[in-house]
Amino acid sequence: MTTAVEIRGLTKRYGDMMALDGVDLTVEEGSIFGFLGPNGAGKTTTLRIMTGLARPTSGSVRILGTDASDADDDVRSRIGFLPDVPGFYEWMTAQEFLRFSAKLFGLSGEVLEERVSVLLDLAGLSGTKTLVGGYSRGMKQRLGVAQALVNAPKLLMLDEPTSALDPMGRKDVLDMLASLRGRTTVFFSTHILADVERICDTVAILDHGKVVAQAPIAELKRRYGASKVVVEVTEGADALAGQLGTRPWVTALERGNNGTIELTVSDDSAAQHEIPAMVASAGVGLKRLEAGEMGLEEVFVELVGGGRR
Amino acid sequence: MKGFAVFARKEALEIVRTWRIWVLPGMVLFFALSGPLMAKWTPQIVTAVGGPAVAKVFQALPTPTYLDAYGQWTKNLTQILLIAIIIIYGNLISGERKSGTAILVVTKPVSRSAFVVAKALVHGLFLSATVLAGTALTWAVTRVAFVNAPPAALWAGTFAWLTLALFFLAVMTLLSVLVDSQAGAAGIGIGVFAVLSISALWQVMALFSPAALISAPMVLTSGKDYPIAIPVMVTVAATMVIVYAAAQAFRFKEI
Repeated sequence: MTTAVEIRGLTKRYGDMMALDGVDLTVEEGSIFGFLGPNGAGKTTTLRIMTGLARPTSGSVRILGTDASDADDDVRSRIGFLPDVPGFYEWMTAQEFLRFSAKLFGLSGEVLEERVSVLLDLAGLSGTKTLVGGYSRGMKQRLGVAQALVNAPKLLMLDEPTSALDPMGRKDVLDMLASLRGRTTVFFSTHILADVERICDTVAILDHGKVVAQAPIAELKRRYGASKVVVEVTEGADALAGQLGTRPWVTALERGNNGTIELTVSDDSAAQHEIPAMVASAGVGLKRLEAGEMGLEEVFVELVGGGRR
Repeated sequence: MKGFAVFARKEALEIVRTWRIWVLPGMVLFFALSGPLMAKWTPQIVTAVGGPAVAKVFQALPTPTYLDAYGQWTKNLTQILLIAIIIIYGNLISGERKSGTAILVVTKPVSRSAFVVAKALVHGLFLSATVLAGTALTWAVTRVAFVNAPPAALWAGTFAWLTLALFFLAVMTLLSVLVDSQAGAAGIGIGVFAVLSISALWQVMALFSPAALISAPMVLTSGKDYPIAIPVMVTVAATMVIVYAAAQAFRFKEI
């Protein structure tokens, strides 16, 4: 597999503020890559550098094999981009804007007409004669996704593409992005974890300008899921939870329904040996002891929550 | 410059379909119609309102001619329309940057140079067409009002002013790349105009620089000669250099 995006040691400084601090990323061609991070983590800055809208302070960004700073018309003709808040010429209709976008890519004739018609359908804007200035944010977002696809890009970069959409709109956009798997590399930033979990192959988590994790979703969950233990006892769960909470290898504890206790542990071996012994010494029955799977949301909170604790 | 023609066509369509089609042409139409009529009938109007004392003053003055109408036209161009151009074009580039529309264009195969040059060129053509149409109209109205109205002086003065106006359009293109605020860019543009006006006190500037074209229109429309060949050539060259500088500045600008 070849690399669609390769970022090495990327930094971006605005005055005293370090927006990006040594970001390294690799995105394989044909994959759907989720770029996660809390607000202000540096996702938009990274995308702005990738698209040539901003320049890095140091480091390198290669897009489809070319340095992003030197990206010429040839490279731009193979990428599609949707910014977080797309700005349109408000005096145009959706059809006019798509035709304008298509012509900038050099499309004409039947190809242009067919592409515009298909994308208007996709955006749910066929037959809409209203000027873009009268659109809701969701309609603009859908038009933004459509214009990013007008050139059938090899690399599609989307900044928060579903943030303004209602549930049906979100589903449509995510289904459409999923359908591009294998043909188009999709790189999209978001803080909606369910979207990432639903369609992404690989995810990178950015926090305070640094990539704190990059891996396929399944691997990421496996890596962090091992640290989760669920204990269920017949009675005396509160007292047992109190004892477990004093152990140094328990980093987080949550009481579930009935006799369930969910633990996040830093030492698997200690947990496996001590928990059964503690249950036995408390004289209560053990109904369940298992490694729980951490959801992406919990992985995310685990990885980026440190700075807020 | 790939995408130039498509983007230039968008720019032209934007003029026709937004407020831009009304403001400059509206001002030019008003000046073109009102100038000759004011020149012809101001004495009668003021006399009718002011009474015999004012009538005596106007009787001492020479009878208005077509040159007064031409003078009114160039005075409006230099004192009002030029300032309006500086204000209107203070956001020529920054407006697209702030509204986010520039992002969706420059991330497609359109060079940033094409983006800047297309905007400057289309608005230059729009301004030229508007002013030339206004000149033809004001000449026609002057001819109706005064009967005798040789057009040469009017066209010479307007040509000198238009060269200066295109120069300021280029200046505002550059300033709208460098300055995010329309008011800020317009303020600097008016400052450039003021400095240029004052610099005309220096003989070299008055003869060989764009500063010559501030006073030249009034002199030319009064029917006198003014050596504008060199200032026009210098101004045209400076206009092209400034548009080039704007394109280069935009290439390195973070959006």
